[in-house]
Amino acid sequence: MKVTRREFIQITGATAAGLAVSGLGFDLAPVKSHAQMLKTKYAKETTTICCYCAVGCGAIVHTSKRGDGRVINIEGDPDHVINRGSLCSKGASLKQLTENENRLTEPMYRAPYSKEWKSVSWEWALTKIAKRVKETRDATFKYKNVIGQVVNRTEGIASVGSAAMDNEECWIYQALMRALGLVYVEHQARI
Amino acid sequence: MSKSFFVDTTLCTACRACQVACKQWHDLPAEETKNRGTYENPADLSFDTYKLVRMREEVIGGKLKWLFFPEQCRHCVEAPCLDTAGDASAIYKDAATGAIIFTANTKGMNVDEIIESCPYNIPRKGPDGTLAKCDMCLDRVQNGLLPACVKTCPTGAMNFGERADIVALAKSRLFAVKKANPKAALLDTDDVNVIYLVAEKPSLYHKFAVASNAAFDITRQVALRRMFTPLTNIVSRLL
Repeated sequence: MKVTRREFIQITGATAAGLAVSGLGFDLAPVKSHAQMLKTKYAKETTTICCYCAVGCGAIVHTSKRGDGRVINIEGDPDHVINRGSLCSKGASLKQLTENENRLTEPMYRAPYSKEWKSVSWEWALTKIAKRVKETRDATFKYKNVIGQVVNRTEGIASVGSAAMDNEECWIYQALMRALGLVYVEHQARI
Repeated sequence: MSKSFFVDTTLCTACRACQVACKQWHDLPAEETKNRGTYENPADLSFDTYKLVRMREEVIGGKLKWLFFPEQCRHCVEAPCLDTAGDASAIYKDAATGAIIFTANTKGMNVDEIIESCPYNIPRKGPDGTLAKCDMCLDRVQNGLLPACVKTCPTGAMNFGERADIVALAKSRLFAVKKANPKAALLDTDDVNVIYLVAEKPSLYHKFAVASNAAFDITRQVALRRMFTPLTNIVSRLL
């Protein structure tokens, strides 16, 4: 490194100043020290219930008031009687339900023996599911069991969901499954 | 009067809500991880991970104990990283809270030396040479909110407040925990603003749970370095 005379003076001058400051115990606090602004300052606040387990913790969703209305932050609701502002790791990651580039936004279909997933329309997917349910139910429906009692059930279909449904959705789902005659109604969190 | 954390590891269930809430508030990206045979994940703190729950399986007195240690920057009362940097535009102490804050100006500094100076092995270097670590959620604290990790903690393991209150809380919890765990101790209470309560030998929790005894004593070498840091910084920038 080539040090010109001017630079040398600058260096030595700064060193002397540095020595003086550190030696005399001056506060080396930053020149500018002002309060930072919260990223949620201008956000809209909405309360919600965590979608995961049955504890039902309350959370506050901060959404942008400008344009897209995307989620800025989700954290525990301090006024909620269940959790008083706290959230577990799943609850603390609620924001990723919507703000996540890996989130699927359309139904995906993998044909039997295929290695590939492909995007399909909702209409195609729902029709396909309805047809399969009808087919399977018709083929496996039992009016009576082996000792002749009336059971009206299908043992060919099982349900394994869902942890992400709320109370009312669960009621509708359960009613549908029972109406179809399912007996294997489970919850994926228990498997 | 500075602010302090009290981390009661006897109440920690390693749910890692603090770890997730920290990432969430700071908008930090996920890390690719792999199964290493432990729930402790990712493997280490990083430029994108300021908080990490350490998990250790130890057989103590013939019983398996699972020890949890939510690791983060201790916001030292006399921070060696701050002294080593010697540049308040890069590393400074927030006067009101005692938070040790790293800025973007850490880029191009003597970062390896700063990392080396930390008695708890906390700062991590980014791809462009900038340093990052826990910032005490200074934006939240300055606006009257709790740090994200403390706010989310469902068990009461994480606590935050005025230093005097937190030290009093730590001492009362130590008194209670000692009855069942005679080896219980508070870690480096006088030197740091993140006070941990552990029930077993600290080194079982994490290699850097406590600072080595020498870390806070100013050696001749550190004193000299402190004197010459302004010069070395200027020289390193000119180069």
